[in-house]
Amino acid sequence: MDFSRSVYQVGYDVIMRQTMPKILSVGTANPPTKVMQKDFPDLFEVRNPVVRKIFQASHIDSRYLYLPPKDEHGVPMESQADLLQKHRMGAMDMGSRAIQQCLDNLGVTAADVDMLCCISSTGFMLPGLTAMFIKHLGFRVNCHRMDLVGMGCNAGLNGLNPVSAWAAANPGKLAMMVCCEVNSALYVYDDTIGTGVVNSLFGDGCAAILVRSDLQDDAHFGPSILHFESHLIPDTWRAMSYHWSEAHGKFSFNLDRDVPYVLGANAQIPVSNLLRPFGLKPRHIDHWIIHSGGKKVIDAIKYTVGITAHDVRHTTNTLREFGNLGSGAFLFSYQHLLNEGSAHIGDYGVMMTMGPGSTIETCLLRW
Amino acid sequence: MTSFTDLTTLTFEENDGTATIHLLAKHTSMQMIKELSKLFDYLEDQSSSTVLVIQGTNGHFNHGLDFSDFHPNQPMDIHGFHKWEKICTRLERLPLVTIAILEGQVIGGGLQMALCCDTRIASDTVCMSLPEVKLGFLPGMAVFRLAKYIGLGRAKQWILRGSSIKASQGLQWGVLDSVSKSPLSELEDTIASYQPIQPVTIQLARRLLNESFHDAFEDAIGHFLAAQQRSISHTQFLKTIEEHTK
Repeated sequence: MDFSRSVYQVGYDVIMRQTMPKILSVGTANPPTKVMQKDFPDLFEVRNPVVRKIFQASHIDSRYLYLPPKDEHGVPMESQADLLQKHRMGAMDMGSRAIQQCLDNLGVTAADVDMLCCISSTGFMLPGLTAMFIKHLGFRVNCHRMDLVGMGCNAGLNGLNPVSAWAAANPGKLAMMVCCEVNSALYVYDDTIGTGVVNSLFGDGCAAILVRSDLQDDAHFGPSILHFESHLIPDTWRAMSYHWSEAHGKFSFNLDRDVPYVLGANAQIPVSNLLRPFGLKPRHIDHWIIHSGGKKVIDAIKYTVGITAHDVRHTTNTLREFGNLGSGAFLFSYQHLLNEGSAHIGDYGVMMTMGPGSTIETCLLRW
Repeated sequence: MTSFTDLTTLTFEENDGTATIHLLAKHTSMQMIKELSKLFDYLEDQSSSTVLVIQGTNGHFNHGLDFSDFHPNQPMDIHGFHKWEKICTRLERLPLVTIAILEGQVIGGGLQMALCCDTRIASDTVCMSLPEVKLGFLPGMAVFRLAKYIGLGRAKQWILRGSSIKASQGLQWGVLDSVSKSPLSELEDTIASYQPIQPVTIQLARRLLNESFHDAFEDAIGHFLAAQQRSISHTQFLKTIEEHTK
C-alpha cells in the first residue's frame, strides 16, 4: 500500500480532524501522601517474607495512597464502611483537583461543561460521583450525567467511547470524563500472596479530560478520536474479580497469575481490528498510550504487538511513579506524552486499556 | 507477486520463498530509503517469502552515504539520518531471515545494513570500511551494533581509526559468518541451514538476542516469558508436540 499523501487525502484529513471529537485538556491528581515502595512492608507490618519480596521488584518506586489508621500492633484497621468512606472522600479530594487542573488548562469553568461522565470501580456510591461533583464543584445542574461503575482498569476507554459519541452528536458542547480510583480502599491486609500482589501494585489517582467536537475549532492542539475496538475474552472472566471475603468482612480483589499471558495472547486482535479500516499497521503508530497494568502485562503487550521499550515509556514511567492507577492510569501516560512534547500534527496514537472481563479496549487517535 | 516497476536504486525479485534485493545504486540515498521502505511494507504485509537476500551489483555491495544529498549552503538536516536509522531498524526486525552477500567495497551505510542482517556471507575480496569519523560524522548506529559483534576494543580500533577490514579479519572477529571465493555458491546452503523457518519465533529470538547486551537480567527474564508465551501459542509448537507424541 502506498502511504504517500495526495492533496485529496490531506483535505480529507483536515476535515476529519475538525469534525471528530478532540481531547482538549487533561488534568490529574493524587493523594498528598507519597509512599516509597521499599518502605511499604515496614509501614504496614508485612511479615511474610514472600510478600515482602514482592515489594522489592524494581518496576514500581513509589505510589500515592490514602493511608489507613492502624491498631496498637501497627496493623491497618479499616472496616468496609471505613473503606467506602475513604473512597468517597478520596474521590472528592483528588477529583476536585484533577477537574480544576483540566478546566484551567483549557481556560474554562465547571459551569461551561455540558456533560459529565465519572468512572470508578473502587467504591460504590449512590448517588454517584457525578451528583457529588455537581453539588460541590460548580457544574451546572442541567449538566448531562453518566456514572460508569464496576468495569475496572479498562473502564476509561469504555467511557471515552460513549463520551466521544456524545460529543460528536453535540458539536460545540464540552464533555468531561473523570476517572477516579481510590485503590487503597480495596486493600485487605492478611499477609497472603494474593493480597500482597494487590497491595504492592495499585495506587490512588484521578484523571480528567475534556472532549469536544467543533467545526470551528482548529486553535486547540489535541488528538481527534477516530475509532474504538473492544475485545472480551469470556473464558477468563474470573481472572480479575472482586469477591466478598467473609473472613475480612470486605470486598477483596483477585488477580490471577495468568492475566499477563492471557492479555498478551489476545492483544494483537483488537489492535489489528482497530487499525485495519484505516490501512494502518502498528509500525505507523507514533504514540502508544497503554494502561500501566503491571510489569508482566506491559512485557506481554510489547512482545505480542511487537512494540519497543521506547514505545511504552509513558506506561512504564507511570507505573514506576504511581503504581497501577486503575481506570485513569492511561490518562496519566497520555499526560506524560503531552509533557514530553513529542506529539505532532498528523501523528497517530493508540490508547489501550486492559482489565476484568477479561477485556482489552483500544482507541485510535490522530493529532 | 506484486511488481515494483518504479524502483531506480535497487531491484527486487521473489523466487520460491526467497526475496532478493540487488542494490543498484553505489550509494545509500533518500531515494533508496523510500524504495526500501516500500519493499519492507510489502515483505511485512503481503509477501509469503521467508528469506530476504541483500546483495550488490558489479562486484560491490554498497559505498554508503551519498554526499550529493547534502549542500554546504543549506542547514544540515538530522532527520534524514533518522530516516536512515529507521529503515535499518526495520531491516533488523523483518519477519524474514535476512542474509547479506558482501563483495568488493562495503563502506559506511552499506556495512550498517549488513550488520542489521541475520547473517553475512562474504567473498574473499571483501573490504569493509567505516571512514566516517575521519570525515567528521558518525557511522550511524554501527556505534551501537558493531561492538556487540566484535567487542568494544575491536570496535574502537575500527571506528575511531576509520579503518578498513579485510575478509579474513572479519571472519576471525565474527562480523562475517563465512568467506569464500564465491559467496553466491554458499547461498543455497545458508538458506537451507535455516529451514524450516518459523517467522514469529525467529523474530522473537532475534529481538531477545539484540536486547541481551543492554537489558538487565530481571527485565530480560520477563521479556523472555512474554515472548515464549507468544511463541508456544503458535501452531508450530503444537505440531512439534504432536510429532513428538506420535
